[in-house]
Order: sequence, then C-alpha cells, then structure tokens
Amino acid sequence: MLPDSAAAHITSTGSGGFGSGFAHPLTGPDHFLAMFAVGLWGAQMGGRTVWTLPVTFPLIMVAGGAAGMFGLPLPGVEFGIALSVLALGLAITFAWHPAEWMALCLIAVFAICHGYAHGAELPLAADPADYIIGFVLATGLIHVLGIGVGLGLGKPLGGRLARGLGVLIGLGGIYFLVPAFSVA
Amino acid sequence: MSQHSPSRERRLGVLATAGKCSGPALAALGLLGAAAIALSPAAGRSTLTWWILSSALAPERVLPLVGLGVALALAGRRYSLGALALFGGGLAVGFFSKDWLLSALQAIPRATSHHFLTGPISSVTVGVALVLPGARVRSWFLLIAAVVAGSMLAVAIEVTDPSLHDVAIPLAGVVIGFWIIAAISLTARAFRRAWFPIPARILGSWLIAIGLLYGGASLIPKQRPAFPPSAEPTPNIVPVPGPNPLPPFLEPPQDRVGPGIPYENPAGLQQP
Repeated sequence: MLPDSAAAHITSTGSGGFGSGFAHPLTGPDHFLAMFAVGLWGAQMGGRTVWTLPVTFPLIMVAGGAAGMFGLPLPGVEFGIALSVLALGLAITFAWHPAEWMALCLIAVFAICHGYAHGAELPLAADPADYIIGFVLATGLIHVLGIGVGLGLGKPLGGRLARGLGVLIGLGGIYFLVPAFSVA
Repeated sequence: MSQHSPSRERRLGVLATAGKCSGPALAALGLLGAAAIALSPAAGRSTLTWWILSSALAPERVLPLVGLGVALALAGRRYSLGALALFGGGLAVGFFSKDWLLSALQAIPRATSHHFLTGPISSVTVGVALVLPGARVRSWFLLIAAVVAGSMLAVAIEVTDPSLHDVAIPLAGVVIGFWIIAAISLTARAFRRAWFPIPARILGSWLIAIGLLYGGASLIPKQRPAFPPSAEPTPNIVPVPGPNPLPPFLEPPQDRVGPGIPYENPAGLQQP
C-alpha cells in the first residue's frame, strides 16, 4: 500500500478563505515537515541562518506561486516537494553546515516547488486574499516552531535529539518520495 | 534633595510601569471593543459597526499596520515619532488626493475588485521596511513605508465606505489604524529583547509574500473550479408517456396560443 499524501498536494477544486488557507500547510504532512525542517536546520546551523532561511523561503515561494497562478508548466513539483523533505531531513541528521549561499540556493529550489503547489490553487480560491494570508501565516508559524525546537534541542545531548528528529523527517521524505516518484 | 529623591524615584517607577503597561492595556481595550461589536446581534448592527468588522478589521488591512507597529518598535525613538507623523501625513494625502491616487491606480487590471491593490502595496512596502539589512537603511525606509501605508489606508477607507458621506466611517478607520500601530508598537517596545529583529524579519518576509501573492492572484481572473466527472452513473431520464400533470388552466399561455390555435382578444389588441 503506497501513500498518496504528496500527490494530493495540488487539488483541483476551489478553496475557501482564511481557514482553509491556514489549514493547508498544517494538514499536508509533506508541507508541514518541510517547513518545520527549514526552521530546525537554520537553528541547527546557528548564526545568521537562524533567520535567513525562514526569511528566504516565503520570498522565493512567491516566484513558484506566481508560476502556479499563471499556469506555467513545472514538471515534477510533487517529486520536488517530497525530495525537499528527504534532503532537509538528511541535512539535519548529518548536521550538515554548508556555506550560507549554498543552503539558501537549496532552500530556494524547494521553495519554488512548495510555492507552485499553493499558487496553482490560488485562482480557484473563493477569497484569495484571506487564503494567502492564512497559508503564509501558517507556513511562517511552522518555521518559527522549527526554530524554537531547533534552539531548544541544540544543546542537550550534543544536539543528538535534533539529529534524531532529522532521521524521522528523512523517513517521512522517503514515505512521500515513493508515490511521488511513481507519479513523476 | 535626599528627602525628595525616594518620592521622585517612586514617581519615575510608576511612570515606567505605566509606560510598560500602556501597550497591552491599549491592545486589551481595543480587543474588548472589537469583541463587543462582533458578539452583538447582527440585526442590531449599524452601517458603521458592520464596516468595522468587514473592512477596518479585515486581515489585509490589519496585517500591514501590525508590521508597521513592529517596525516602529524596532526603530529609534526619533525615527518612530517621525514615521508616526508621516503615517498621519500619508492618511491626509490619501484622503485629500483620493481622486488623483485612484486615477493613478485605475490602470491596474480589475482595480475595483481588489480595492486598487491597496492591501498588497501596503504589505510589500512595510515588509521591505522590516526585512532590509542595516538599521540605518531600515529606519530611513520606514519613513517611506509609513507614508505609503497611511495613504493606502486612506484610499481603502474611501473606496470601502458604504455611506459615502458619513464622517464617522473615515474617522473610525483612522482611529483603528492608529490604535493597531500604537498597541503593537508600545507592547513590543516595552518587552523588547535582543532577538526581536529575527521574528520581525520573518514577519517582514511574510508580508512581502502575502502582498505579492495576493496582488498576483487579484490580477488573474478567477477560474471556474474544474470538478472531476462524477463516479456515479447518470440515471436514465426517460420522459414517461402519460397525461399532462398540469390542469389546462395552469398551462403556460404560450403553449395554448400558437399557430392554428385561435386567440381570443376581448380588447381587440393585435398580437405582437
């Protein structure tokens, strides 16, 4: 039995307002894990990346969102979303500390995939303004949660707790990647 | 001198405590007022209370003001006061140059459906004021953002005012705008910590993202949702032969009046 959570990211029916926008990142486990991992990874690396990663993500997400809104073709979006969960999970597991520009580039690629999935839904939304405000706020709150957990788990047991969470996120990535690979 | 110093210190302490509590108290008072309006029976709501709930407190209107409040709390006292004054100036510009602003903004596609993009323009400008690197650059840009946010708020108030003449509506919009900025700014300033710029920058990036995505979505005509074909088989609808269920006197007149059917015209009028 294969999961279809990642493939269910882009829906074809219209969305509602603030409530459905806010619920979208929280109820989609692939999106939730990726956003959480961005905050956690930034906190694990420390320094400026604590805020540069969560600030860059929504800004680049806009580009993906615009591509989705205008219906530009972007193949392999679901694959990219699933891959983002796996890659971020691995980065946290191995406490990978790349140069800041490299981390930002990686985040930017994943942000385009996540933004595209949201943007494709926007023209269908009953109230696009409230829907966007809802999903951006929820996305940001998951980032903040990831930063909080990352800063809290950064020191106990030499950061092993945070790395353990990275393993779980990576496993989630594999879970989403299998059906996304078959879709792609 | 030594006799006066304890009382003076006490007075200063009271003033400091009052200053620290003013933001949360202002926020609590305003929230209580908004809750009282929201919980009042819908039938008894006036145009003003309806407008406050549906427009003045709409997320697209409130969020840029929250961002501006946070930016004011992070800036120095001089820049904060300057930005607050410029916000008021922006409001005045918006109200008194409404026609000029609307004619400048009407080139935007579907302008009336999204209030001339006032929400997105405010969100993006205030977001940039929060995200920009360097305290000095941020402070200078805050002054510009305050003018833009003020003028956009004034335009939004004018274009959503259902009464067109009631002074209470623009007045309420201005008071609510200043209340949001003051409550957020005073609260954040009172409990300021060294890590505040981090969430402020994150908030700024959200505001930019919201503004750009909302602006983009507003410019695109809304599509009809593509519903998938129903899995249920379509039932066979076959007209059942039989007598007409309607009695003759209930049949539509066009069925009775037609070619070959005589039409009684007591008034002697000609058929069209």
